[in-house]
Amino acid sequence: MDLAVRLQGITKRYGRVTALDGVDLTIPAGSVYGVVGPNGAGKTTLMRLLVGALAPDEGDIEVLGADLRRERRRVRSHIGYMPQAPVLYEDLTAAENVAFFARGHLLDDVGDAVRRSLEFTDLVDRADDLVRTLSGGMRQRVSLAATLVHQPRVLLLDEPTAGVDPELRHSFWERFRDLTTHGATLLISTHQMDEVVHCDRVAILRAGTVLTEETPQRILTEGRATVTVWTGETPHRHEVADYPGEVPRLLRRWQLDPAVTRIEIEGQTLEDAVLALIEDEEAGAHDG
Amino acid sequence: MTASRTAAVAARVLRQLARDRRFVVLMLVAPLGIVFFTKTLFDAADTPLLDVTPFAVPFGCFIIHFATFILTALVLVRERTAETMERMFINGYHRSEIITGYLLAYTTLATALSLLVLAELQWLFALGYGVGRLASIFLVMWLLAMISMALGILVSNAARSEAQVIPFIPAIVLPSLIFSGIIVAVDRMPVWAQVLSRISPMYYANEVLQELIAGSGLGGDVASVVMLPVGGIVVLLLATQTLREKG
Repeated sequence: MDLAVRLQGITKRYGRVTALDGVDLTIPAGSVYGVVGPNGAGKTTLMRLLVGALAPDEGDIEVLGADLRRERRRVRSHIGYMPQAPVLYEDLTAAENVAFFARGHLLDDVGDAVRRSLEFTDLVDRADDLVRTLSGGMRQRVSLAATLVHQPRVLLLDEPTAGVDPELRHSFWERFRDLTTHGATLLISTHQMDEVVHCDRVAILRAGTVLTEETPQRILTEGRATVTVWTGETPHRHEVADYPGEVPRLLRRWQLDPAVTRIEIEGQTLEDAVLALIEDEEAGAHDG
Repeated sequence: MTASRTAAVAARVLRQLARDRRFVVLMLVAPLGIVFFTKTLFDAADTPLLDVTPFAVPFGCFIIHFATFILTALVLVRERTAETMERMFINGYHRSEIITGYLLAYTTLATALSLLVLAELQWLFALGYGVGRLASIFLVMWLLAMISMALGILVSNAARSEAQVIPFIPAIVLPSLIFSGIIVAVDRMPVWAQVLSRISPMYYANEVLQELIAGSGLGGDVASVVMLPVGGIVVLLLATQTLREKG
């Protein structure tokens, strides 16, 4: 398995605050990798470390097999970073912004790269509009276009869908998936748990540590479910911890009872499952 | 450092300036207004025997020093606080390219400002200087503007917000006026003040200007003439080295 990113024992402190505490992560090439967690979990710090905008206090970072500390400039030419806020020049047009960031990469044909990037983000009609006249969602698109313009192999997207309406959010995820079909690796941070389902793997970050690192499907199957068996007008509620394993066993107990009129199974959402994982970890930490 | 990236920064800054006409007009008009107020002050003092030229011309220079210093410091701090500076680095721009690009773009503004202030001085104070002397004074103004911009970049590296630039105004700009020799001759000051004056670009500018006003030409004080570009290069190197790439 080719690795796009490898973090080993990464610790980052801001004064007395430890933003990341011994984080180990490996991100396979060509995947969509999600980093989820509440505000202050260390997601943005992780992103900024990966792009070389911050230096870790401890640990090593490899991007595409190169040591970030030693080969920062070379690594950056293969990285596209989309910050949380659309960091753009408001008094330039969308196309001028994208072209300016493209020129930093010394591309052979800046005009063509800008055109392709604006087409991909569906911004051709607004290319000549000043950024200050664009809506928040449009600005996010310009920011994405500037991130993609040099066709990076690794994309670091820090909360790219924050403040974006559901329709645009859906279109963003379609575009992200498109990028992996062209060989790109995406690392996406989000605090919107429902977006995790779009990722191939997910790391759940809390207070600077990785609680778990799994596929979204696996996180869901570890979630709980509420099974309500109705006998006439009387509900019988059962909480099951292992949703796919326990539910069939539980139902077998009821299936021959002629009094059963209805069975309702309410599985946890991914958001519930992630929050439960975080709560379990916190409870474990307090007990320990 | 590549020329194309440097040119991209300069072109981008110039484009932004061209779109912000109100800022450009204020940037050019405000110094002209201050020079005009200075003339009004001297007229009101009504001292016909006093030749105000040795004060007025260097003071015009000081206004350019003040304006270009503040402008550069604020613009670069804004670039940092808006995180566009970080995005430039991430997208391949180097420190030297960013600084040189900014200098190239703002040089156009500084050149226009120097020409306008010089023309106003010539007209208001009826200097009656020939082209050669005016060109020499312009060169001093222009070099001072370059150092001031480099100083602005240096200061912006130490400030994390626009508000943090404000303490640098009295800390850098006012001593450069006090120790320049424009108000009181430096050799009448205590030794420590004379030492301090030697690190102020305004001191060297004033030394050269006094020679020019007296009619000696640029050869009258070659050391001070040389110190202006040398000082500019030193400050620029310092600014480049201290421009933070990492948070």
